[in-house]
Amino acid sequence: MTSPSPLFQTSGLSKRFGGLQALASVDALQYPGELLGLIGPNGSGKSTFVNVVSGTLPGDEGKVWLEGRQISGLPQHLVTRAGVARTFQAVKVFRELSVLDNVLAGLLGHRARPHEANERARSAMDRVGLTVAPDTAAGRLSLFDQRRLEFAMRLVAKPTLLMLDEPVGGLNPEEIRSMIALISSLREHCGILIIEHTMKVITSLADRVMVLVNGRKLIDDAPGVVLRDRAVIETYLGA
Amino acid sequence: MKLRIAILVAALPLLGLFGDPKGLTVFIVGLVLINMLLASGLNLLYGFGGLIPFTFAGISGTSAFICCNLVLHAGWSFWIALPVGCVAASILGLALSFPAIRLRGFYFALSGLVIQSALTIAFIYFPSLTNGDTGITSIPRPTLAGQPIVSPWLEILIATATVLTVTGISALMRSPIGSMLIAIRDDEDLSRALGINVTAVRSLAFLIASLIAGLGGGVYAHYVGFVSPRTFDVLISLNLWLMVAVGGRGTLVGPLLGALILTPLPFIFQQYTWIKDVIYGGAIVVVIMFLPAGLFGLLQRRAS
Repeated sequence: MTSPSPLFQTSGLSKRFGGLQALASVDALQYPGELLGLIGPNGSGKSTFVNVVSGTLPGDEGKVWLEGRQISGLPQHLVTRAGVARTFQAVKVFRELSVLDNVLAGLLGHRARPHEANERARSAMDRVGLTVAPDTAAGRLSLFDQRRLEFAMRLVAKPTLLMLDEPVGGLNPEEIRSMIALISSLREHCGILIIEHTMKVITSLADRVMVLVNGRKLIDDAPGVVLRDRAVIETYLGA
Repeated sequence: MKLRIAILVAALPLLGLFGDPKGLTVFIVGLVLINMLLASGLNLLYGFGGLIPFTFAGISGTSAFICCNLVLHAGWSFWIALPVGCVAASILGLALSFPAIRLRGFYFALSGLVIQSALTIAFIYFPSLTNGDTGITSIPRPTLAGQPIVSPWLEILIATATVLTVTGISALMRSPIGSMLIAIRDDEDLSRALGINVTAVRSLAFLIASLIAGLGGGVYAHYVGFVSPRTFDVLISLNLWLMVAVGGRGTLVGPLLGALILTPLPFIFQQYTWIKDVIYGGAIVVVIMFLPAGLFGLLQRRAS
C-alpha cells in the first residue's frame, strides 16, 4: 500500500503546566478518511492534546501540520480558519441566541458570503438531523440537540479536521446509538478525532486508537490490537 | 424598527426647547442629549461587548481638553479641533484597551478603575493642558460663519449628532462585527473556537466607543463652557454606566432612556443633594436586583 499524505500530523508535541508534564513529545498521525480515537485515563493529556492542536492553549514544543501546512504557533482563530474545528467537553452553545443564529455564528470567523450563509446553515442543520424550529433559543434544547447543534456550528464552516471532546457525555444509550450513527455519517465530510471514555463509541467508530498515559503516547494501532494490548489493559482498562 | 424608536427617544428632549429659550430647561436638554451620546458609546462596550469600561470618562476628557486647548490657545476652529480630539481619544482608548483586553469580567472592570484614576491624576498634574484643579473656563460655543451658535440651534445640532451616532451603532450591530461582539460577550471561549478573532473585534469596539467618547467630551466642553479634571473622573464613568444599566444594556433605546431619566435628577433635587444620592444608590440596587435588563427590557417584556 502506498501511503497517502497525512491529513493531520503532530511531532514532538509537548505542554507543561508548572511541574506537570501534560503532553510529552506526542507524535500523532491521521490519514484522510480515517477516524482516530483518543483514549486514556483521567488526566492523561487527551483534552490538553486537543487544546494545543486547536490553539486554545499555546504548546511548549513540537509542530502540528494540517494537510501538510504547519498550523502550530498560530492564534486559535487562524487555526480554526485553516480547518481545525473542536468541541468542548461540557456542551457550549450561545444559550440566548436562536438555533439558526448559533449555526450562523459558526461562519462569522470564516468570511462566508452573506447570501450563502443561511442556506449553508440550514444544510448543516439538516446534516446533523436537527429538526427543531430554527428560531428556538439554543438554551431550551435538550442536551442531545445541543450536542448536534455544536456539530452543525462546526460543519457549516466545512472543517478539514473535527475534534470531538467526549461527544456522548451525558447522553442515554439510545441517544448514544444515534450519535454514533451521526458521527459515522460525517466521516465522508471531514477527518474526525474523538476523545471518549465510552468504549462502545471507540470500538464502533475508530479506525485507529491512540492511547495517552501521563502525557505520553503508549500505543497507536487498530482498536482490536489496542484493546488487547497488555500495557493498555493494565494502565487503562485494568480492574 | 428599534432604530425608529431610538431616534424618537433621542428627539424627545427637544420638546424641552419650547420653553424659555435662555432658561435652565434648555441647558438640561443639551446635557441630556450629550449624555445620550456618551451612554450610547459606553453601551457599545458594556451592553453589546460585556465589558464595563470605567476609563470612559477619562477618554472623553482627553478629547475635551485637547479640543478646547486647540480652540482657546491655538486659535483653531471648533470644527477642526473636535475631530482632532476624537481621533486622539480613539487612539488613547485603543492603546489603553491592549493591556486590559485579555482580562475577563470583574478583572477588566478593576483594571479600568485603576487606569481611570491614573488619568484623573494625570489631568491634575498637567496644568498646562488642563489648568489643574481650577479647570478651564470661558470655553466659547461652536461658531458658524463667525457667529456663536445659539440655543436652540446648538441643541438641535447636538440632537442630530446623537441620532447619527445611534444610527451608526445600529448599522454596526446589524453587521457581522456586531454579531461577533455579541458572540464574544456571550461566550468568549466558544467564539475563539469558532474562528472569531476576539482581540481584533474587541479592539475595534474600543476604537469606535472611544471615538464616541471623544465626540461627547469635545461637545460637552464647548456646550457647558467649563471643564476640570473632576468633570471626567470615575464618578462620571459610573453615572454613564448607571444610565445604560437603568435604561437597558445591550439595546439601542436603553442608554437613551437612561440618560433621559437620570440627567435631570440633580437639577430637580438641586436643593436636596442627599436625595439625589439616595435615588442614585436606590437605582443601582433596584436595577441589579429587579431589572437586570433595565427599563427598556421591562417594557419589551410587557409588550411581548
